[in-house]
Amino acid sequence: MRLLTMCCAVFFFMTVVSSAQEPVKPSLTPRIITATRQVTMFSGLEQQMLHAVQNKDKAALGSMLTDDCAINMPDSDAMDCADWIDSVMNKDFVLAKFVLRQMSVADLGTAAVVSYDRVQDSKYQGKPDGGEFYVIDLWKKDGNAWKLANRYVSKVGSSPYMPKGPVKPTGKG
Amino acid sequence: MKLTLGKFRYFLAFLFVILAANFLVAQKIRDNHAAPGEHMTPNGDGTAAARPTGPTVVTGNGINYNGGPVLHGNPVPIYIIWYGTWTSTSGSNTAATVSLIDSFLGANSLGGSGYEKINTLYGDSSGNVTGNLQLSSQIFDTGSQGTRLRNANITKAISSALTTGKLPTDPNGVYLFLTSSNVKESGFCTQFCGFHTDQTINGADIKWAFIGNTDQCPSGCEIQSTGPNSPAAGVGGADGMINVITHESEEAITDPDLNAWFDSSGNEDADKCNFKFGPTQTAANGARFNQTLGGLNFMMQMEWENSRGGGCDQTLGGTFFTN
Repeated sequence: MRLLTMCCAVFFFMTVVSSAQEPVKPSLTPRIITATRQVTMFSGLEQQMLHAVQNKDKAALGSMLTDDCAINMPDSDAMDCADWIDSVMNKDFVLAKFVLRQMSVADLGTAAVVSYDRVQDSKYQGKPDGGEFYVIDLWKKDGNAWKLANRYVSKVGSSPYMPKGPVKPTGKG
Repeated sequence: MKLTLGKFRYFLAFLFVILAANFLVAQKIRDNHAAPGEHMTPNGDGTAAARPTGPTVVTGNGINYNGGPVLHGNPVPIYIIWYGTWTSTSGSNTAATVSLIDSFLGANSLGGSGYEKINTLYGDSSGNVTGNLQLSSQIFDTGSQGTRLRNANITKAISSALTTGKLPTDPNGVYLFLTSSNVKESGFCTQFCGFHTDQTINGADIKWAFIGNTDQCPSGCEIQSTGPNSPAAGVGGADGMINVITHESEEAITDPDLNAWFDSSGNEDADKCNFKFGPTQTAANGARFNQTLGGLNFMMQMEWENSRGGGCDQTLGGTFFTN
């Protein structure tokens, strides 16, 4: 009976983990695209921002952000863009090179959701701080200009974020 | 040999560990592997490092030769698969659109024009591109793969056309897969207006391009919603498609296997002038145009000229323009 129970438990576990295989990511097609007008435009804006970071041009970077701009990352509080500007303008941070790819733009009229993959070669206090990041930006139209309102960024290949449960009292101290 | 419960427990624990490890490995989302015969090079939006191989034919003009072949046909044969519904009586999924594009790719139009001759500045060790192309044959597929496509569906449709002999299997030609506006292709309108690639189909290296009806997203894929050949205001699909067809056919000829001509950011000749048109004139219906071919006006993006330091122009040897 115990043996049967054990077998059932193993079978159940296998079933559960098998169902966790989804979703399967479609493969990347080797192809060369004609980018849409929006992809062309936002690609330019994103590169403009990154060049401002490279050149430590605080004014240029700030002019591309909304007043309430925030940056969100897994497992952290949202960061005000003013703090983000300070961090990337810090001389300890050096953005040497970057590549943007797989850009997609959902044009919502006065707002646009832009997603892309960014590979960057950067250093913080002389130590490598680069990698590949998946970024989702929410741009809002401000008159004739577009400004970044929200950024959601996660490192590609990092462990999936798991929500932390409530802290249970251990009874110790 | 008698298997005790204790040993069986160990066996189950071992099996559990193996399966768990297997599962954890499987959690890594699939890597992208190019199939044999395919090339993981740039994707056209300035996103991949160039793959330096082979001798350079011409240098110093903002675009590099990376060792692969170009298409030398005189003319390069063009094959069209009209996919979806192209028999509507209004809008742009019409016989008029089919006729216009057929004419554009037919004799005495794009092929051999001063515009197309810009391509003659690109070559390989066997010679340069001729600057001539011409529609060879076409078929209609009313929807064998449904109306929501992925690349694999397009491959199947093309493969079917070749294996059944409806179209010839020609590794020296370019196959255009043109979809009506009711057909969805993942990425169309949000990432791209078209793309080109090559694949082994029916035993041959087939160069094909996808171009969707741009009326599905005029703001993304049309420079103007009413083109010089629009049947009515706001119906710019045929003109919009012609612009993308021009882009893709140029690139499919100068970089057919995705390993010939592109710059250090992965941009091919037409990518470098994407949605840049240069000076324009105004047609009777108010639409802008910048080319007249075969007696018809067209609004076509410029192409990168591989000479004089490089630049976008409307005709071979013409003035360079930045927008």
